[in-house]
Amino acid sequence: MDIIQMKNVSFEYQQDQPVLENINLNIKKGEWLTILGHNGSGKSTLSKLLIGLLKPNQGEIIVDNILLSRETIQDVRKHIGIVFQNPDNQFVGVTVRDDIAFGLENLQVPRNEMVERIEKYAHKVNMAEFLNKEPHNLSGGQKQRVAIAGILAMQTDIIIFDEATSMLDPKGRKMILEYMKQLNAEGVTIITITHDMKESVLSDRIVVLKNGKILKIDTATNVLKDQETLEKSNLEMLLPLKVLRYLERENIADEKVRSYLWQLSLKR
Amino acid sequence: MKNIVIGRYIPGNSFLYRMDPRTKIIALIVLMVAVFMIPREAFEMMFVGLGLILILLLIGKISIKRVYLGLRPLMFLLLFTFVFQILFNKTGPELQAWTLNYSFLNIAVIVAIVVFWMYTKRFIKAKFIYLILMIIAIITVLNQLTLGPIFATRQLVVHEDALMIGFFIMMRLIIIVTLSTVLTLSTKPTDLNLGLEAVMKPLKYLRINTEEMAMIISISLRYIPTLLDEANKIMLAQASRGVDFSEGKLKDKVMQIISLLVPMFIISFKRSDELANAMEARCFVPGATRTRLHQLFWSRLDTISLVTSIIILIGSIAVRVVT
Amino acid sequence: MAIKFKKVDFKYQGNDNKAYLALSNITLNIKAEGEFITLIGETGSGKTTLVQHMNALLTPLSGDVEIFGVKINRENVKKKRVKLNPIRQQVGLVFQFPEYQLFEETILKDIIFGPKNFGVDEKTAIERAKNVIKVVGLDESYLSRSPFNLSGGEKKRVSIAGILAMEPDILILDEPTSGLDPLGRNALLDVFYNIHTKLNKTIIIITHDMNTVYEYAKRVLVMRDSYLVYDGDPIELFTKKNIENWNLDVPDLLHLINQIETDLNLKLPKKPRNETELFTQLKAVLK
Repeated sequence: MDIIQMKNVSFEYQQDQPVLENINLNIKKGEWLTILGHNGSGKSTLSKLLIGLLKPNQGEIIVDNILLSRETIQDVRKHIGIVFQNPDNQFVGVTVRDDIAFGLENLQVPRNEMVERIEKYAHKVNMAEFLNKEPHNLSGGQKQRVAIAGILAMQTDIIIFDEATSMLDPKGRKMILEYMKQLNAEGVTIITITHDMKESVLSDRIVVLKNGKILKIDTATNVLKDQETLEKSNLEMLLPLKVLRYLERENIADEKVRSYLWQLSLKR
Repeated sequence: MKNIVIGRYIPGNSFLYRMDPRTKIIALIVLMVAVFMIPREAFEMMFVGLGLILILLLIGKISIKRVYLGLRPLMFLLLFTFVFQILFNKTGPELQAWTLNYSFLNIAVIVAIVVFWMYTKRFIKAKFIYLILMIIAIITVLNQLTLGPIFATRQLVVHEDALMIGFFIMMRLIIIVTLSTVLTLSTKPTDLNLGLEAVMKPLKYLRINTEEMAMIISISLRYIPTLLDEANKIMLAQASRGVDFSEGKLKDKVMQIISLLVPMFIISFKRSDELANAMEARCFVPGATRTRLHQLFWSRLDTISLVTSIIILIGSIAVRVVT
Repeated sequence: MAIKFKKVDFKYQGNDNKAYLALSNITLNIKAEGEFITLIGETGSGKTTLVQHMNALLTPLSGDVEIFGVKINRENVKKKRVKLNPIRQQVGLVFQFPEYQLFEETILKDIIFGPKNFGVDEKTAIERAKNVIKVVGLDESYLSRSPFNLSGGEKKRVSIAGILAMEPDILILDEPTSGLDPLGRNALLDVFYNIHTKLNKTIIIITHDMNTVYEYAKRVLVMRDSYLVYDGDPIELFTKKNIENWNLDVPDLLHLINQIETDLNLKLPKKPRNETELFTQLKAVLK
């Protein structure tokens, strides 16, 4: 079943300068989809369209069988959560507890249930002992975990990670990736927006965007080995695959080496 | 920069911390009115007030040192009102009169004292007492020394009313500031905000959206440390480009300030834009009804506290009526 | 030695009025020429604090930092025995976010702001601006544009040009490549490498990217909980065992080499430092 459908979606901030052009994209329930693209390819605009922060100039977006429109926008947002890039600019509450509560307060969840959910999801992202901490005493990775808890508490079934790991140190990044894996295994639909090839290996399918158009949609393995597409969209190939390509070109690798490198590059 | 902490909440554990913020705010207002009710004629009542405050601080386990720190910025204002009264209030019986002799040499000595004070004050810890000592020294010089030809003499006459009113105003200020300090010391900024929102609810009938105001205050509280941190970083970044904030002519100063303000504004706009997106994405709709995680609970303690403060108010009204 | 740290301690005052250790007992020497250093470590380990001591933005709590012969310590700074401003011309520091420094109407004005603060006359400063904008890989037409309508990568370049125009002997960059896409990152690293080789300047880069460390650095410093725990050769660092305790990743290249060597039972003659070296060595071994 398709949980998200984008049909002929176009968007422009100024006339005749399209940021996204004619996007057709179906995302399956429980799927992990990566949107790959260089800086300025329109990938962040795409995520803002999905969550109704921007309105498409053309085309329609359907989330969980709801056609996104001015009237349904609040319903759609109950199904989709988003973690943005900058950990500091999405932390609304004065404390971790208040921040997780923020979305629940907006959804008018009764207080008792709110307290329960905050406890539960703070535990889930291992932030339970930090509930009374203020954001300036947390690291970037911890703030992103709070953002995830805030979305999970709203019990959404789709989470978009819009370059959510790009401002973190390796430890913070690894941890967020672990949560993505875990959530996806539990059935949450994950959409990651990134230019990190190593992150995209984890996903089921990859969409490659270039200058506002979809260059390719395919399974992760097919996209990652497609040198032509990656080069066209200013992306870097994974290192083992680069080596593989080189060896093939030079015609010096036997079958064993080839299949080994291939396996290596797609290891999750 | 980090020393600026809005509200200066100090964690603690006493009945003041257990009270509902609404009670604390209302009680503060009631007690302030009570203080203003006490007429000048009954200025000895101020001692009663001060005594009550001391009792409050003791059983409320509020450190007197903290309250003193809150009062310190006010010291010069207090001194000024006192000096103002002594110089200009000429009613009531005379208490004491000094003859002040002005001569060039006397003035030279005073200038020397002032220069000495300005140079040495940085080494003295009790700056306020040092200032008072300097003023006393100046008066003593003018009164006692008659060096060289005197070109003018003046009388410095202190009247009873001046002393009394000066003292009265001082006490009133001290009590009010202490009470407010107790409120901010014992109440978390978030609770204070919640209390203010509840207390201001009647303003809704004046079409003022108190919930939105509370949200604005809450977000300001959240971002003040971040913004201060950012301002500090911008200063360091510009210092790395040779901006010397400790020196420079007026023209340079203007440039220095611009070099701070422009990045500050641009970053803040970007931040608020992203924050608005994040809030909207989490189903925030301005003006819509929301449930609240933080709820206020009225307890017996609150009733007792409020009744006590009203009794104090009635007491001070009674004092006013009697005198 | 251009920069000498001797037993430097530094503490920050937190919001709860407690003091947090940011630097503990740091002793370190940096030359004015020919060094390419990367500084790594977790968020909050003291990296930024360390580099802010290198151009006297911060003063050590105890110990002292000697920068081009000027001794910076608590006492000298308090008694105003040393001039701090000239040091900042000699040691250029580029902050993580270009937004912290860009403020002028045009990129030209922004670039000449630094040199003019250090007493360079306007004509010379403009000459320098025309030169440095090319060094950072942009062309002269940018000079008349506003610094605010640029992409993230371009803003970074302009902010670096603003520091380069001061003609510092040592250039320090705080996380210059974070948030850039792979091509943007590589292009910027090549800019630093060119500055390093052509102008023979010492470059110090703070980064979280281990590939940068492995492929570019001649020397690597590792900070952990306010201590300098490693100062030396990158290969030696990554072949040591306890880097996982320091929460450091193995660089992609080295990771791949290790896997190939063990799984395919190969032995490369020398640890390759970049892709080209890896390719040629593999070619030789597999043939």
